[in-house]
Amino acid sequence: MTLPIVLAAGALAVVFGVVMLLHRSLYVSAMCLLAVLLQTGVIFAACGAPLLGLLQVMIYAGAVMVLVVVTVMAAGGRTGPRFADFSIPRPLAWAGLAAALVEGAWLLAGAAGASPAPAVAHPALQLGLGAALFKPYAVATEAATLLMFLAALALIPEEQP
Amino acid sequence: MTLDLTAAVWVVTGALFALGLAACVLRRQLLAMLLGIELMIAAANVALVHHAGLFSDAEALAAVAIVIAVAAAEAVVGLSLILRVHRMGGGLDAGELSELRG
Repeated sequence: MTLPIVLAAGALAVVFGVVMLLHRSLYVSAMCLLAVLLQTGVIFAACGAPLLGLLQVMIYAGAVMVLVVVTVMAAGGRTGPRFADFSIPRPLAWAGLAAALVEGAWLLAGAAGASPAPAVAHPALQLGLGAALFKPYAVATEAATLLMFLAALALIPEEQP
Repeated sequence: MTLDLTAAVWVVTGALFALGLAACVLRRQLLAMLLGIELMIAAANVALVHHAGLFSDAEALAAVAIVIAVAAAEAVVGLSLILRVHRMGGGLDAGELSELRG
């Protein structure tokens, strides 16, 4: 069950990655990168790391990509027509939406036990992740947390003289 | 079956990393270059997660969690730098930022 999911999500990720590389509009590139990151989250879940898949979706789709879009809106409008290239190609948008719906339904059905398990679960691996993060790598985890806090300070604008 | 899955993951990883590298090298806009870097990091994470599942290596999963956090911080700093350059009149084209001022 894992291989078809990885193949489908990987193929979609590569297609959206190609569009991200080739499209002129930064909006479309950002949206395509969002689709790629969602597909990599599905691959994480299929490979037995659902927690990291959720982290990937929450951090990238919920935080980083919002910042990217806001930055494009704040800084990218003056270099060209603002709305002319905004529209993502419709077949691509429908493909991304359909993939998100199918994969979401698949994950929910797997979690509810209504369909075959989406991937081989590794309970010991998930327990080992917590043990590794908060025992031998506790300092690195705290350092990453501090780094995220300091990075958030970079967004605070300076007062204009 | 394991070999097939590994081959599929490596093909996806290689393709995504190559696309991210191409975006970073070929695109001129700073934002597009940052998106390419994020794509390369995501590709490396896919390989690490598959490695963790294959060898039951929890430390690889811990590394991926830390990489995700560091990549988010890197994106925030990069975006704030891009906004700062834009406000100083530097534009968004990497070709215009080839010299230091001062």
